[in-house]
Amino acid sequence: MRIGRRQQFEDDMDAELRFHIDSCVADLVRSGLTPEEAKRRARIEFGSLEASKDQCRQAWGLQRLDELRADLRLTFRTIRRSPGFAAVAILSLALGIGANTAIFGMFDAVMLRLLPVRDPGRLVFVQSAGTAGRDGPPYPCFELIRDRATSFEGVSAFSPSAMELTADRGRELARGLWVSGNLYQTLGVRPLIGRTLTASDDQTPGKGGPDGAVAVISRAYWQRRFGGDLAVVGRTIYLFEHAVTIVGVMPTETISLEPGRPIDIAVPMMLSDPVKLRDRTALWLLIVARLKPSVRMEQARAESGALFKAYIAGVRISEETRTRLFDHMDLAPAAKGLGGLRRQFSKPLSALMILAGLVLLAACVNITNLMLARAMARQRDFAVRLAIGAGRGRLIRQHLTESLALVGAGAALGIVLARLGQTALAAFFAEGNNRIVLDLSLNVRMLLFTLTVAVLSGLALGIVPAMRAARLDPAAGLHGGSRGIAGNRVSLRLGRALVVVQVTLSMVLLAGAGLFIRSLRELESVGLGFAREGILTMEVTPERRLFGSSEWLAMQTDILDRVRRIPGVRSVSWATMNPLSGRDRGAVLEVPGFVPRTEADKDIHLAAVSPEYFDTLGVPMLLGRGFSARDHGGAPKVAILNVTAARFYFGNANPIGLKVRFTNYPGRDLLYEVVGVVGDARHDSLREPPPRFIYLPIPQSVDRINRLALAARCSGDAIHFAAPVRRQIQSVRSTLLIANVSTMEKQIEQSLLRERLVAALSTTFGTVALVLACIGLYGILAYAVTRRTNEIGIRMALGATKSGVVWMVLREAFALAGAGIVIALPGVLALGQITKASLYGVEPVDPIAFASAAFLLLLFTALAAALPGRRASLLNPTSALRRE
Amino acid sequence: MGKPVDLLQGTLDMLILKAVSLGGLHGYGVLLRLGQLTGGRLQIQQGSLYPALYRLERKGLIASTWGESENKRKARFYTLTASGRKHLKAETALWNDFSSVVAGVLSAIPGES
Repeated sequence: MRIGRRQQFEDDMDAELRFHIDSCVADLVRSGLTPEEAKRRARIEFGSLEASKDQCRQAWGLQRLDELRADLRLTFRTIRRSPGFAAVAILSLALGIGANTAIFGMFDAVMLRLLPVRDPGRLVFVQSAGTAGRDGPPYPCFELIRDRATSFEGVSAFSPSAMELTADRGRELARGLWVSGNLYQTLGVRPLIGRTLTASDDQTPGKGGPDGAVAVISRAYWQRRFGGDLAVVGRTIYLFEHAVTIVGVMPTETISLEPGRPIDIAVPMMLSDPVKLRDRTALWLLIVARLKPSVRMEQARAESGALFKAYIAGVRISEETRTRLFDHMDLAPAAKGLGGLRRQFSKPLSALMILAGLVLLAACVNITNLMLARAMARQRDFAVRLAIGAGRGRLIRQHLTESLALVGAGAALGIVLARLGQTALAAFFAEGNNRIVLDLSLNVRMLLFTLTVAVLSGLALGIVPAMRAARLDPAAGLHGGSRGIAGNRVSLRLGRALVVVQVTLSMVLLAGAGLFIRSLRELESVGLGFAREGILTMEVTPERRLFGSSEWLAMQTDILDRVRRIPGVRSVSWATMNPLSGRDRGAVLEVPGFVPRTEADKDIHLAAVSPEYFDTLGVPMLLGRGFSARDHGGAPKVAILNVTAARFYFGNANPIGLKVRFTNYPGRDLLYEVVGVVGDARHDSLREPPPRFIYLPIPQSVDRINRLALAARCSGDAIHFAAPVRRQIQSVRSTLLIANVSTMEKQIEQSLLRERLVAALSTTFGTVALVLACIGLYGILAYAVTRRTNEIGIRMALGATKSGVVWMVLREAFALAGAGIVIALPGVLALGQITKASLYGVEPVDPIAFASAAFLLLLFTALAAALPGRRASLLNPTSALRRE
Repeated sequence: MGKPVDLLQGTLDMLILKAVSLGGLHGYGVLLRLGQLTGGRLQIQQGSLYPALYRLERKGLIASTWGESENKRKARFYTLTASGRKHLKAETALWNDFSSVVAGVLSAIPGES
């Protein structure tokens, strides 16, 4: 209620009661009393005016408000009186709540949020499943299900792919998506401007529909590339040199089904590779379908399964391929979109959620401890209030109000901190080529989460002091002052217990941080098999008509010559892919004398490289020779294996001179002679051991050479060479498209994104908990010294030395810390087990991580104990004794 | 004037509603009318009259407006609202039932049942 209305209420009540009394007096005077006597009688008959008013206020529901206001006033007064306490409490709560809100925001964005499309719960992914995993069925199978299945309202396909776009003469590589024309109808997504794609746009291979070749772009791309120009609808751009008309702009979040991985442009399937569209076994699609309202998942699964079975019966594949890839049809819920991001981050995020929870717990324990100390100091105050008639309920409420006020301030500050932290986190994710865009804006779910966390911590904080206040005996409280009551000893014990809990929590957090840091260090120092420093990488793509041409081959040599002449460039090479770039190519190999046990034994990774490749990347040549200019297109076909492949296929025998054959290109006889063996290099990620690899010279590649990756080894910081190298490439041909410019070091860093995130956050959490534990330790030790002033005085009078006194304080500190560390042991073990999957090269039970955490804790314990210890040692025995 | 009677717990609200239902009254008027209606036999604590009025207004059973009293002074007048009327009717019926049952019990003659 507002102050003005409140005043009005009081005034009205006064007027009304005065009127009553006055009327009463007037009547009494009329009946013959003197005015004075009448007034007296009227007052007596009415009874206590104030009590009546109070009851009126209560009847009107004002009393509670008044009490709350009094509680709040008192709260602010007490907080103002002890700003240090308030600052520590609010700050540590803000950190705890902020950490939880920030991590929950990520958790929400990655794990919980549903696609913002119409009724996402009825969307399913339709997948061809087998022992090797699950993937979308081939395009002809998709058509079959789309046209024949009756369980679905709509069946749509999509497939992410890099697309080369030209607009305003600027060529660039965009993140594209091939989509069946009906995708956005199936999802129920509307365009922001213009129109969306429809099934009629996706009719004729190579042409599109009645409007010709059309495409829609995402809002983000629209803004980035076209400056949000409304005239973009109807514009013609070039997709791989084919004219395409932009017909609409789609919301960035719903142009694709993979949250976090933004798509720039969506183009109808019919404009993609017609060979791929006809391929009856190629797995390159993702199929999403919307169940009809009345249809259950099992029915739809049975129906599409039958269609799939009929389809597969008409396809010629080996029995093994069938069980591996085309065994049956499976449906999976698609409400949250594709799970790539979820799979990648679910474990680290869950671990971080736990750690953030522990930090908040540590903050709450710390504040409870501080509040307890304050409650002891305020015992007298409360005893007085009890003695003059305050209800115990009021006292408890006072405590709860105080803690909720602290929590409120902490939560407000925490949300601010969380926003700041999330900006940093978002930047963390947005780095690099495969950047992830997380929508971390505040939403209702996040605020509800924060509110729940805050209220729970407020109650947790208030409950212990409140219970104590409820048990307070006013007589004892008034008598004893601040010393000498049994209750205080209980409080001190409780305080010590809380400190032990704090130490335990920070021990668990620190040991956890230790595990993650050690794991990160292990990954960072893992043997890559290639040089880490000074390597510049970029991808270069010519126009499509030059793919596989001799012209492109000549340009490659020209570029190498020119780049090599840049001062500071020591070596430069081409390859179809560089390590850790996320690119991959597989092949099936037949090796004489090698009997594969499974189909997968024939699989090998394949790259075509220029002769300088191994030298540039620092991959050692172990046997035989490398490639040279003599291994041109017309020369005898040669290949190089990595050690893993050589050992796998040939054991300890020398493979040089033996011939291997690729069998995954039907109709072509691809026989290559092994001329060399090179060292292993990590390929996919730092965690995976190097896979089997076969390298071919670029002119002898089995695939048409299109995009190539350049690697240049430079002296000094490689990224400084990006501009000159780019200039040299474009001086050969200005239209060459250059993308993904980076350095090997950067790519290594990016491939450790998750690990770095977890290590950085867990270290922060551990530090916060450590500082809180130190505050708790300091508090309890300082209080203990004050309480034992007398005893210390006696000891010193009896000949205890200063160092002896200091040692006494330290001993107590170490006892508390030691207890906490020991109790933490099972917690640390549990944390290790939970996070096992995120660790690399470190056992979940890691003595080094544990020992360093314990050492750190003991070190800070000594620091926290130093000040109270010093104060104790400086006590003057005479004055200390006189204090009694 | 008969013997004074103590007010039964919870009946004050009902009596106030009845008093107000006979025409708008200010607080003092409610007191006077109740005195009149009971022939002065009911002891009403004046101090508890106003909390009861506030409570009834808070419940929406009566409404108040500021007006002018007989002696030309500003006073707060109470009137019965529609829901107050309904409430009074229900309470009256309940009371009648209750009192007849209690009266029946108390007037039972030994040996009759």
